[in-house]
Amino acid sequence: MKNLRIAISAVFGSMWIAASPSAIAQAAPPSPATLFSLSGVYQSIPDGTTLPGGFRNSGSPEQISITPAAREQMKSVDLKDDSWKTCRPVGNFRMMARSGTVMEFLSAGNMFFLLFEDFTHGFMRKVYFGRTHEQRSTQTSDADIPRTKLTWFGDSIGRWENDTIVIDTVDFNEDTWLNDKGVPHSEAMHTVERIRPIRGGEALEYRMTVDDPQMLATPYAYVRYFKKIDREIEDDNCVEEH
Amino acid sequence: MRKACYLTLSIALLAALSWAQTIPGENWTGYYMMARGRDLTGLNVVSPNFGGTVVAHLQPWAKLKRDSVNGVLDDNGFVCKPAGFLRAYGSPFDTNGFFAPGKDRMTIIYWPTDTVLFRRIYYNREHPRNLKPSWNGHSIGRWEGDTLVVDTIGFNDRTWLDGGGAPHTEDLHLTERMRQIQHNGNTYMEIVAQVDDPRTLTSPYTFSRYYKKQNYEMEDYVCNDAVDFYKEWREQERRARQAQSQPAEAK
Repeated sequence: MKNLRIAISAVFGSMWIAASPSAIAQAAPPSPATLFSLSGVYQSIPDGTTLPGGFRNSGSPEQISITPAAREQMKSVDLKDDSWKTCRPVGNFRMMARSGTVMEFLSAGNMFFLLFEDFTHGFMRKVYFGRTHEQRSTQTSDADIPRTKLTWFGDSIGRWENDTIVIDTVDFNEDTWLNDKGVPHSEAMHTVERIRPIRGGEALEYRMTVDDPQMLATPYAYVRYFKKIDREIEDDNCVEEH
Repeated sequence: MRKACYLTLSIALLAALSWAQTIPGENWTGYYMMARGRDLTGLNVVSPNFGGTVVAHLQPWAKLKRDSVNGVLDDNGFVCKPAGFLRAYGSPFDTNGFFAPGKDRMTIIYWPTDTVLFRRIYYNREHPRNLKPSWNGHSIGRWEGDTLVVDTIGFNDRTWLDGGGAPHTEDLHLTERMRQIQHNGNTYMEIVAQVDDPRTLTSPYTFSRYYKKQNYEMEDYVCNDAVDFYKEWREQERRARQAQSQPAEAK
């Protein structure tokens, strides 16, 4: 009888898995298979549009509230130095908010990549599960060159909270801005992103929260929705002529 | 309570089983770095002199073109444009790749990513007709046991066959056999490849390369981050060429 129960639940369990990616996360410990169910290409919906279910973008990097220190530092900012214009990454906080951002969610075992179609400005992000920031790799392909601690994209670690992936990122360099006006951030910037599949996996709800006590008067959050699209990302490379 | 446990365990088990069954080459997942020195002991490296092999197969026009190329001023990689993955097989620099298996494809993310980019090898489909040429071409693959056999066409003609500037045409055709092997207690990706381009080569050439699986995380490398370094390098190269040509002009 016990075996029969297991067999029946196994059969229905497998059907359930196929039907609903979010159900897996709730019913079983997150696994590579769970991450894999999110693989695909997604595009953020334009502001002002609404997905069925009433899902709408909210907030914007332009609405952040900054400290006097940030205001002072902005006096020396030259908008010509915007990394957007010089074919460098614009940073996770600005990139994820941009209308029409296309990215591929690529799972790879106990981690996933976010590959951006606008590769130069978004580049490629890597999110690791099952480790802390302190356990980050220090090794590089060249033993003589130490790994840089502070990077354009920071160090991202992920964990599951029910059906939501929570990404915690620290260790950013100071080469990106918080918005198009050139608001700087410090190395103390800390972001928390929450990604949740909605509408049976056809879309992702994405919430970005940023904190930087040196530059932000208060933590700030925005929400974006990404629709799954049926195409590959293209090779779109911005090239600055040297 | 017991029922819930059974259900949870069954689902976890089935998720794991269905994952293993539906993802070909799932155990390939990970980061591999080109093997060198002692890591190659006992492995059969075909065409270790990559550039020499390429040159030996070039038609006269291609040889002339390679000889006239400036390794810095004419190199895509120095202006942060894609340089293609093919020449990376012979790169004197460390060239690495992350293999991410999927149900219907194998994705390879190369390092340095912004100049070599990434590549998808699709299963169960043909090359499209009227293929638009691209930096890394269009790859299809089929599994022969534990070997992934890859066929790639559709390259544009803006990359090189090697780091020395050997050209190719849009007729470039690459076949690769990729296989994960265990050797001396380590895991390697073995890649045996044949390159053909009837408009550039006198005959096809073959090579093999080995990539050792790493247990550390892939690094970021932002090409345009090094813009000042490249500017300086290109300026030095320009001055050196100018200095070389001046005595000749004086005569």
